[in-house]
Amino acid sequence: MATIKPAGIAPASAVPSVPPQGRSAVRAELLGRMTGASPAYIAAVVTCLAVLAWAAYAWSYQLVHGFGSTGLRRPVFWGFYIVNFVFWIGISHAGTLISAILRLTGAEWRRPVTRAAEAITVFCLMIGGMFPLIHLGRAWLFYWMIPYPNERLLWPNFRSPLFWDLTAILTYLAGSLIYLYMPLIPDLAELARRKTGWRGKAYRAAALGWTGSDRQWQALERGMKLMSVAILAIAVSVHSVVAYDFSMSIAPTWHSTIFAPYFVVGAIFSGIAALVLVMVVLRRTMRLEEYLRETHFVNLGKLLLLMSLVWLYFTFSEHLTTWYGNRPGEMRVTAVREGGLYGILFWTMVACNFVVPFVLLGISKLRSIATIAVSSATVIVGMWLERFLIVVPPLATPHLAAAEGAYAPSWVELSITGGTFAAMVLLYLLFVKAVPIIAIWEYEHEVPAR
Amino acid sequence: MKYLHVELNSAEEVAAAIDALGRAGAPAGSIEIYSNRPLETDPPLLPRRSRMSLGAVLAGLFSGTTATALMFWMQNDFPLVTGGMPINSGWATAVVTFECTMAGAVLGTFGMLLWEAGLAGRRGSAPVPVLPDEGIVLQVACSGETGRAEAALNQFAPGRVEIVRA
Repeated sequence: MATIKPAGIAPASAVPSVPPQGRSAVRAELLGRMTGASPAYIAAVVTCLAVLAWAAYAWSYQLVHGFGSTGLRRPVFWGFYIVNFVFWIGISHAGTLISAILRLTGAEWRRPVTRAAEAITVFCLMIGGMFPLIHLGRAWLFYWMIPYPNERLLWPNFRSPLFWDLTAILTYLAGSLIYLYMPLIPDLAELARRKTGWRGKAYRAAALGWTGSDRQWQALERGMKLMSVAILAIAVSVHSVVAYDFSMSIAPTWHSTIFAPYFVVGAIFSGIAALVLVMVVLRRTMRLEEYLRETHFVNLGKLLLLMSLVWLYFTFSEHLTTWYGNRPGEMRVTAVREGGLYGILFWTMVACNFVVPFVLLGISKLRSIATIAVSSATVIVGMWLERFLIVVPPLATPHLAAAEGAYAPSWVELSITGGTFAAMVLLYLLFVKAVPIIAIWEYEHEVPAR
Repeated sequence: MKYLHVELNSAEEVAAAIDALGRAGAPAGSIEIYSNRPLETDPPLLPRRSRMSLGAVLAGLFSGTTATALMFWMQNDFPLVTGGMPINSGWATAVVTFECTMAGAVLGTFGMLLWEAGLAGRRGSAPVPVLPDEGIVLQVACSGETGRAEAALNQFAPGRVEIVRA
């Protein structure tokens, strides 16, 4: 496997240009990747639909039979659903946050990467946002969270972190959708020019009358800069609010002042890993080797390594403070988490989030697309385990020792969890056939004119 | 109204053509550039005033203030049992205020983008040229005679200046 050993993050000039085939050819090629569906593609769509149908059945079963069909029992009332909620919201930081940082810092190598990243955000938020509804049990009453005028004088509690979640996630979803949509407009106009029939009409409507005038380009660039600044603040606040769900309570090990930045770091960490995995799959399945080059993966791999070290620092600080405080409730959770029932999960998490990335990404001779992909996969596993270990052990080991319990997910929770991964894959499969996965107008800057 | 269209090959050519048009007496407001990608020159070839930042800030302030006022009145009119905590707490409402401010700023930015770019049904009356994959189209609006502008453009693309009536 070829390796690349640049001294630092590769500058724009170090990114090799694609073969001199001209902008028209690049445009035609990228648009061409959207057409047709191979048997493998159709099989993937059908598989995802089947898994989703099973998950829908599981959720309907839960709606009919109640929460007794889940593994949630006293004292553990937050299980897989909240773990998945935190996990998916974390992954969602892949897109807008990374894209916004790269845009604001003028990282030229971002150009083929941004759209794939921004799409992850939107899809993950849609999936993650479902879990509070599923966790409600009576999901049809979700609108009680919204402060609308009503005759029952039933107002939401604005002091509740759950209400903060609602506002934060809705804001992030709206911002991410707009942030994904804005740079899509020129490509949608291009598609409208090339497609006929209902597809042409749909693309024309979505392009909002884009003509490619300088007035429009200037407005778009200005809008993207403003949105990048806003979305950075929103992204950080969203995962902070998710952390507040925990740190505002007095469950052992949750009431921590560093939970918000700890969650944000974990979110960016898992987000980069998810982005790398998506890029590897896209590169392989859509034959995008000329566009998603080894340099892109090496740069993202270095970011992943940096975040791995930052994650280790936060994890160490959190555990050291707990250990030094020596409070009985927190020490019992720590004992169970590190050496007891959940010990294997804990040390697997450390191996996945630190040991594997540190070895594979830290030693430059080992750094390649394959090892970066392996590291990313282990980070995804490790971060899911981290979420599980944050949520479940403190609830299973409450302050009152006599109230201890255990948690094991039921088939309903496992099915719904599997369904969310299928939903993510399905949304991505449909997305790559609806719009170019690489922003054509942005990428064309790397291509010399004919 | 007549519109002159000419296809040029690079941003440098467009800049030179705009200079020549200015010397020929064409006002800056009558010139427009069409391309498949932003020209990304610094400063822009056709500098335009924008109020997008102002719009975003005002929309954010409006949204944040409205949300905060709503929370304040709601909590006073329909107080919940707080267990000794204040009915209105700056710490707790700050989160919602921040999120609503940012939501307003995001929507304000998008609204200003639509407005300033002339999108969503706000396009002007100028004819839109067919965009070439590689080149850049320069458009000049002429209310009267087109001779001087045409002569200026002919320096850069002899015989390729197209006149469109609209």
